[in-house]
Amino acid sequence: MEYIGLYPMWYEPGVGSGWIVGLIATVHVLFSHTAVGAALFFAYLATVSYRRNQPELLEFIKKYGLFLLIFSYVLGSITGPGIWYSTTVASPRGISALIHSFVWKWATEWVFFVIEVVGVYMIIYLVGKVDRATHLRISIIFGLASYGTMLIIIGILSFMMWPGKPEWFVEGGYLNGFYGSNTFAQLAMRTAFMFTMTAVVGGVVAGAIKDAAFKKEITRKLAVLGMVSTVTGGLMFQWYMNTLPETAQVIFENRLPDWFGVSLIATLGGIFAWFAATWLQPRLLTPSIAMGMTVAVLVFGLWPEEVARESLRKPYVAGQYVYSNQVIARDVPGLDIQSEIPLLEKKGFLPTQVFVPDRLRQVTPHNALEAGRSLALTTCSNCHSLSSTGMRPLARYFGGNSDVAMVKTYLQGALGTGNTIYMPHIPLNDAEAYALAAYIVSLSPSPEKPVVRTAAAPNQE
Amino acid sequence: MDAAMLYALRDPAGVPSHPIIFLVLGVLTWALHIAAVQVMLGASALTLYGAFSTEAHWRRLAAAMITTAKVAVSVAIVLGVAPLLFVQVIYDPFWYTSNVLSARWVIGFIAILILAYLAMYAFYYRNHSLATQPTRNAWQMVVSLVLMLVVGWIMHVLSYQMLLPEQWMSWYAPNGVIDAGGQSLHGYSITRFAFFILLSVAVVAAWLFAYRRYLMGRPGEDAGYIAWLGPLAHKLMLAGGVLAVASGAAWLVTLPEKMAWFATSGWVWASVIALLAAAFFPRLMGSKLDQGLWGYAPFAVGAVALIVVAAAREALRFVTLLDVHGYDALDYKINLDWYSTSLFFITFAVLGGVVLGYLLTVAWKAGQTKGVYTPSPALTRLGNVSIGLLVLWIVQYFAIGFYVWAR
Repeated sequence: MEYIGLYPMWYEPGVGSGWIVGLIATVHVLFSHTAVGAALFFAYLATVSYRRNQPELLEFIKKYGLFLLIFSYVLGSITGPGIWYSTTVASPRGISALIHSFVWKWATEWVFFVIEVVGVYMIIYLVGKVDRATHLRISIIFGLASYGTMLIIIGILSFMMWPGKPEWFVEGGYLNGFYGSNTFAQLAMRTAFMFTMTAVVGGVVAGAIKDAAFKKEITRKLAVLGMVSTVTGGLMFQWYMNTLPETAQVIFENRLPDWFGVSLIATLGGIFAWFAATWLQPRLLTPSIAMGMTVAVLVFGLWPEEVARESLRKPYVAGQYVYSNQVIARDVPGLDIQSEIPLLEKKGFLPTQVFVPDRLRQVTPHNALEAGRSLALTTCSNCHSLSSTGMRPLARYFGGNSDVAMVKTYLQGALGTGNTIYMPHIPLNDAEAYALAAYIVSLSPSPEKPVVRTAAAPNQE
Repeated sequence: MDAAMLYALRDPAGVPSHPIIFLVLGVLTWALHIAAVQVMLGASALTLYGAFSTEAHWRRLAAAMITTAKVAVSVAIVLGVAPLLFVQVIYDPFWYTSNVLSARWVIGFIAILILAYLAMYAFYYRNHSLATQPTRNAWQMVVSLVLMLVVGWIMHVLSYQMLLPEQWMSWYAPNGVIDAGGQSLHGYSITRFAFFILLSVAVVAAWLFAYRRYLMGRPGEDAGYIAWLGPLAHKLMLAGGVLAVASGAAWLVTLPEKMAWFATSGWVWASVIALLAAAFFPRLMGSKLDQGLWGYAPFAVGAVALIVVAAAREALRFVTLLDVHGYDALDYKINLDWYSTSLFFITFAVLGGVVLGYLLTVAWKAGQTKGVYTPSPALTRLGNVSIGLLVLWIVQYFAIGFYVWAR
C-alpha cells in the first residue's frame, strides 16, 4: 500500500491553529529583534563609553540589559522554541521541510545562541567588575554573536517564502536554498527595523532615568537611531517588495486589504513622529508611554507585516513545494522529492493517508459525512475553521448553499484543477468530493442540518 | 501502525549528513540540557528549603541558589534547542505525531514555562537580600517549581508517546471517530519521570561541590560557610545516589513488555556503574577535593554519568523502534551537503570553543577576584581572536552569499 505522509491533524476551533502560530511568532519577532538590535547598540555604547570615558553609559547598558533579561531572554527565549512547538502541531510537514534542509544552519545558530546567553549575563553583571576594555570586548562579542543569529534565521525565513535560487529545485543544496535576492532584501529590512524596535523598547528604560542631562543624551541617541532606522526600514521594505515573485505580487494586490499600504505608511510615519518628538522634548519620554509605543508597534506594525508575509506565500507553507494543507505539491528533483498530487489523483486522500480510521477509507452512504469531516480536517482546516468561529470559517465561503451536487462541482472544478489563485490543488475523486461537499453543506446553518458523527457525539445518527 | 506507515511519515527531503551524526549529537546535547534542568530543579528546591529556614548558612545558600536557578533556566532553554532540533531530524514521524496528538499541551508548555520563569524572577526580585532579610512571597518560588515540574511532565509525555506507535490511532480516533482536539496527554511512565527528576538531587550535589570550590578561590570568603557546604554536598550526593538507583530500579521493573529487554541490557549496567561512580567519587576523593581544581571534578564526573544515561535512554528508543516497529533511524535518505555540515562543525568547535572559552574564563576569573579584574595579555589576545573569528564568520556569510546570489 502506498501512503502519503500526512500527520494527524490538530484542529483548534476557537481562533485556529494558524493564528496561534502567528501570535507566538509576532511577539517573538518583537522580543528577538529588540534583543539583536540592543546587542549591537550596546556594543556602540560600550565603545563610546570607553573612548570618551563615560562610565554612566555602561550603567545604562546594565539597566537596559536587565530589562531585556525578562523581555527578550525570558519571553523571547521561550517563544523562539515556541514557534517550533506551535508549527510542529499546526504544520508539522512545513516545519519538517525547513528542519531537514537547514538543520545545520539551526545548529550553527544554536552556537551563537549559547554565546549570546552567556554574553548577556556577562555584560550586565560584569559592569564595574572587569576593566572597561574587557567589558568592551565582551560587548562586541555579544553584539556580533547576536547579529549572527539574525543572519542565519533570515535565510531560513526567506526559504520558507521562496528558495533563494530557482536552481534549488533542480540541483538542491543548502546554498541555493538559503541565498537569493529576497534573503538580502529581507535582511536589510529586518536589520533596520530591529533598530527601530530597540529604540522604541529602549524608551522604557531611558524614560526612567532620573538625571535630566543623561536622560536627554540617551533619549536623543535612541531617537536618532529610531528615526534613521525607520526611514531606512521603509526604503528596504520597497526593495523587499521588489524581490517578491510575480505570484506574490498578484496576491499582494488581490488578497491584502486596501488599507494595508496606507496603514503601513501611517505606522512608520507615527513611529518617526514619536522619535522626532522625543528628540525635541526628551521629557516626553516616560516608561508608560514607551511601553504604549511598544504595544503599538506590535499591533500596528509587526502583526500586519507577519500576516502579510504569511499570506504572500500561499498556497504554500514552505519552500514553494509544501502546501499549507501539508501535501507535497511539486517535484523537487534536487532532493529527490516527488509530488504527492499524482498519487492523490489516482487513489484519493482517504485510502492513502496514514491517520484515517479504516472504516473511513472508502466513502459509503453511511459514512459520507464523517469521511467528509476527515477530508475537511486534512485539506481545509489548516486555513479554514470548520466551525462558525476562528479563522476564515469554511461555511461562509459557500453562502449557505444546501445543494451538495453544486458544492461538489465547485470543489472539483475550482480546487481539483489547481487553477485557483491562493488555493492549493486538491484532487478529489467523485466519492471524496461528494463526501466533502456533504460535510460542507452540513456546516451551513439550516433548519434541517445533516447529522455528523463527531468525537463529541460519537453515537449520534 | 506498521513500518510502511512510519516510513511514509518521514520527510522526503532526507538529511544533509549521515543520521548517526544527528543521533550522537542528540545524545550529547540532551545530556547537557538535562544537566541544566536538574541543576535548576535542585537549586530551586534548595532555594525553597533555605527560604523557609532561619539558619544563616541555609539562607545564604538559598540566596546563591536562586541566582543559580535563574541562570540555569536560561541555560536549560538554550541548550534544549539542540536536542529538540536533532530529534526532529531522524525521529520526525514519532516526534511530530506525539506532539500533534497532545497539541494543546504543547502550546500550554510555552505558556506554563513562561509563567514558571516569571514566577522565579518575581521571587528573585522580591528577595534580593535573602541571606539577611526575611523571605517575601515564598509562594512565587513554590509556584515556579511546581510549574517547572509540569513542563517537565509535558516533555516527558511527548517523549514517551513517541515510543508507543501502536496506540496512536486509538488516541487519535478512539472507537474509530477522529478527535483532532489534541487535548489529552496520553502515554506516560511515572517511574521514568521520577527517575529523571530525582536524579536532580545528585546533580545539584555535584553542583554544590563545584560551588564550594568556587568560593574557596575567592579571597575573604566565610570559611565557616565553606566548611558547612562540604558535608551538605556529601549528604545530598549519597541521598541522590540512593534515590537514582531506587527510582531507576522502579522504572526498569515497570517497563512495558516490548521494552523489557532494556532492563537487563548492557546500557543499564553501564548507567548504574556510571551513576554509582559519580555518587561515590567525592567520598573517594576525600580531602583532595580541596586541592587545585579537584573540587570541580565531581561535577565533571557527574556530567560523564549523565552522558551515559542519555546514551542508554537513546538506546531504549532506537532499539525499541527498530526491533518492535521496524523503524531504523539510521537508514534515513541522505542528501549530503558538505558546506553546511562543515560550517556547523567549524563554527561549533573553533568559533564556539574559542569564544566560549574566553567568556567563561573571564567570568570565572572575575568571580575569583576582589575588585576589578583585568585579564592577562594572553587571555586578552584570546578575546581579540574571538572577535576576529566572529568577524570572519560574518564576512564569509556575505562573501559566499553574494557569490551565490550573483551566480
